[in-house]
Amino acid sequence: MANNGSVQKALEILEKQLNQPLKTALEVCARCGICAEACHYYVAEPKVEHVPAYRAEQLRKIYRKKHNFFGKYVSWLVDAEELDDEKFNKLVEMAFSECTLCRRCTFNCPLGVDTPLVMRTIRAMATATGKAPEILVMLADSAIAKGENPEIFKEMFLQQISQLEKELQELTGNPEAKIPVEKKGARVLYVGLAGAHTIIPPAIIFNEVGEDWTLSIYEAANYGVFLGDVERAKKIAKRIIDEAKRLKVQEVVVAECGHACAALVWDAPNWFAEKFPFRIRSVVEVVAEYIQKGKLTLDPKANSEPVTYHDSCNLARTGGIFREPRIILKAVVKDFREMNPNGIENYCCGGGGGLVALPEYYEKRMRAGKPKAEQIKRTGAKIVAAACENCKLQLGDLNNYYNLGVEVKGLVDLVANAILYRKKAYASSN
Amino acid sequence: MTEQVKVDLVLDLKGLLCPMPIVKLSQAIKDLPVGAVIEGIATDPGVMADVPAWAKTSGQELISIEQRDKEYRFLIKKVK
Repeated sequence: MANNGSVQKALEILEKQLNQPLKTALEVCARCGICAEACHYYVAEPKVEHVPAYRAEQLRKIYRKKHNFFGKYVSWLVDAEELDDEKFNKLVEMAFSECTLCRRCTFNCPLGVDTPLVMRTIRAMATATGKAPEILVMLADSAIAKGENPEIFKEMFLQQISQLEKELQELTGNPEAKIPVEKKGARVLYVGLAGAHTIIPPAIIFNEVGEDWTLSIYEAANYGVFLGDVERAKKIAKRIIDEAKRLKVQEVVVAECGHACAALVWDAPNWFAEKFPFRIRSVVEVVAEYIQKGKLTLDPKANSEPVTYHDSCNLARTGGIFREPRIILKAVVKDFREMNPNGIENYCCGGGGGLVALPEYYEKRMRAGKPKAEQIKRTGAKIVAAACENCKLQLGDLNNYYNLGVEVKGLVDLVANAILYRKKAYASSN
Repeated sequence: MTEQVKVDLVLDLKGLLCPMPIVKLSQAIKDLPVGAVIEGIATDPGVMADVPAWAKTSGQELISIEQRDKEYRFLIKKVK
């Protein structure tokens, strides 16, 4: 069968990506079907297309056509197939809209088959051939443009930070509270996201503990990761790595953002084959450490309504950050209720993998988020805390879609609230 | 700023957080003809950094961007 240009290019990308982990994912599957119940898509809508093994099989067929002896010569015997335009378009649709790369299937697979790696590979094939969702490409390229031309936004950014600093001083009642930017030699470089909501609460916390910190001029989000495009992802991460080196900080602290944390903490050292001269951690780990070291005096009465916690897949499952959020919650919340399952077994909210940024898949992600909505409902909580921006956006949408009647907050919001509550109580008692 | 430029579409981005203002802007501009102008009104200060970067990447013209009290207003002209 004659392949057109994009199919040919996609196959070249597949060949290029074939390292040992991918070969393993494409060759190993016991077809036991355990992964079905592990996937929130399948739990929400039990159909064969939602079984992770079925999804991976769609690329395995193509792989076998070239890499399996029988696949080459007697394709029908091993169900091997040529890739064509129609099949490729279906693969792309599946990889971007029917898998959030949450890795719950991998954790529940007896053989540890990494189906999200297969989906990432399809995403990489799509990106290289111009078939990836253009919004994800545009968001990634905007971030790269910021790194290449900081002058296009820096002046306005600094103006905004100066205003946020005034807001911080009013909130804390401390005229000395600061949001330092580009401070050379600071101990911590904090990397937020675009928007005040990821800057003010950590600023309250850093000022409260007297941290020697500075704010990154860049945002932590890395849409290159969702595209499966390591080159774009590296360029986006490099802006922050270079800034940290330039400022000679000892630690980079990443905002509440699952994929950004995964990219900077776990992927970046491999991408750059480098041991960085600084540590990189999630703000969740750092705040939990402040609490454990007694650097923060917090009053759980500040957050008196029942709170449940949604574990971000990237933080909990990929990064093992599931104890730290509970250290924080126990310190700042009066009535904490676990949703079940939780921790590394938590269900994805349905918004991961870049889906919250793709309006065309809104209905799909609302349906896929049904298990999460039901989990939340069962807790009876009034506040859902999460430590990932994508999760928070999705949880907010699920709240509206399923009428959950909850409020979605970050862990740092609850901590900042507990700090301000104590300050107010102290001020009124004096 | 709106007094001087004819606005074809007003985009209410108030209350939206990163990356949604940019997502909505990208979507809205697709349906407009070349030469059309969008006025965006957002409450997330992140747009002050994100909109100029988006304009540069997408090749659209950022006519102006400014803060008015707690709102951020920008004008984007579709040039391609």
